[in-house]
Amino acid sequence: MTSLADLTLVEAAEAVRTGAATSIALLDACLAEMDAHEAAVNATIWIDREGAAAAAHAADAAKATGPLHGVPLAHKDMYYHSGRLTSCGSAIRRDFVPEHSATVVERMVAAGAYTFAGLNMAEFAQNGTGHNAHYGDCRNPWNLPYITGGSSSGSGAAVASRFAYAALGSDTGGSIRLPASANGVCGIKPTQTRVSRYGVMPLSFSADNVGPLARTAQDCARMLGVLAGHDSRDPTSARVTVPDYEAALDGDLRGVRLGVPTTHFFDDVDEPVAFAFEATLAVLVGRGATVVRLPLPLMDAVLAYGAVVSRSEGAAIHADWMRSRPEDFATHISGRLFAGYAVPAAVYVEALRARGAILRAFAREVFGQVDLLLSPTIRICLPTLAATDIDNGPPGTEELALGISANTRPFNYLGLPAMSLPCGFDPNGLPIGLQIAGRPFAEAQVLRVADAYGRDTDWHTRKPPFTTTGAAA
Amino acid sequence: MPGIADDTFIDYIQQWHGIQPPNEFARRAAADLAKVITDLERIRGTLRFEDEPSSFETALLEASGLPASEWNA
Repeated sequence: MTSLADLTLVEAAEAVRTGAATSIALLDACLAEMDAHEAAVNATIWIDREGAAAAAHAADAAKATGPLHGVPLAHKDMYYHSGRLTSCGSAIRRDFVPEHSATVVERMVAAGAYTFAGLNMAEFAQNGTGHNAHYGDCRNPWNLPYITGGSSSGSGAAVASRFAYAALGSDTGGSIRLPASANGVCGIKPTQTRVSRYGVMPLSFSADNVGPLARTAQDCARMLGVLAGHDSRDPTSARVTVPDYEAALDGDLRGVRLGVPTTHFFDDVDEPVAFAFEATLAVLVGRGATVVRLPLPLMDAVLAYGAVVSRSEGAAIHADWMRSRPEDFATHISGRLFAGYAVPAAVYVEALRARGAILRAFAREVFGQVDLLLSPTIRICLPTLAATDIDNGPPGTEELALGISANTRPFNYLGLPAMSLPCGFDPNGLPIGLQIAGRPFAEAQVLRVADAYGRDTDWHTRKPPFTTTGAAA
Repeated sequence: MPGIADDTFIDYIQQWHGIQPPNEFARRAAADLAKVITDLERIRGTLRFEDEPSSFETALLEASGLPASEWNA
């Protein structure tokens, strides 16, 4: 370790708790990394140095009690902080100042953390590549001309770049898992309803999820333990008991049945991705897990209905702006929204009506045979920003860009928890991600496998080189 | 329904929502809805729906395998 910024979230919190480091020292270390590399990466939309310094000094003067005490965090710029600008990555909300704070923000504050930056993101969380016409594209710290994944582009890049110990993302079709995969960090989309969405910019009420990106599975477990649980201000949030996620991380995978789909998830997979995935399975088998290859039921319905739900809800949420100021959206954002208005209401209701029945049937068949499903998070080697620039690229660009989220979208319609963690690098020096999905509310089991894998590998410890050649530092 | 005229969707959107296509990309995206329709046609008749009142939230709980005592903590 060469900097306090290299500590994991849990290590940083422990350092403050024991007095081994101060909060202001942690903040200074993160800001130093940001000062050195932000110009190359473009991961932030705003930075509050004065407010963060005040929060850090206050933390240092107080007794450490919460699990995140004194830890500086930065989040996708769509989480409401009362009285603070929240752009949602858009021109439309460039001057938006919410009057209330998100429940998840309040929970992190109660746990002792503070926010010092708002992070870049796809406009209104609406692409999987990280392109942003208003604040500039976020660039991958492992190889700068390449995509970071989206929509939580800045969250993935900032955590990988050591700008912050963890960051909130949001996930409606893969927006936590894609940037986690592309930037070589961990990120978990919890079960639908597991985390409150009060005070969070909506994109799809049925498929939006709040979750953390961080460097390790243990860090994600720490964050999720703070975030999860019922919130009376979000009546859709579940009342299910929140377990001690960190306590589940014992490294023991004996008896765990890992399912590898023979349907959908490996269609046209790139060879380096397939190679890394198989090598990952071998590591997990070495820890006692067994592997079952199985077809998945109902995938055509999952994909078709999932597209209907997200298109319809996204269109409805943005209808006023699409009437009054459509020119203020990026071309591909308003274009996609526009198509959503043509989906008939009866088809939308059909997609929602089928959702529970499909989940029950899927869970019965799949989780009767295996405990978890494993796949690559992104099935192709990462493309460049130029190759996926829908607004300025040639015909076919959108298909490539949409293909990025082929493996993540199904779990949003199904509402299942799913996580991405680093499991290798491609020939361009860019990270490859493993996706682990489980039963509803089985986040502890997902995290347990991710943590066990991290004990035998060092992908999560590597630092990006911030070059245009992808040569790891 | 490949080949459907994209103006069909555009007219529908204008009438029901009062929203004009903001750019050429929007027109292409509307035309691409033909693929969504094809995807829906493929699954039509393959699923059985429930008549009883239910919710996705309940399905999540049932599929979780958790004991009911943990559903309302």
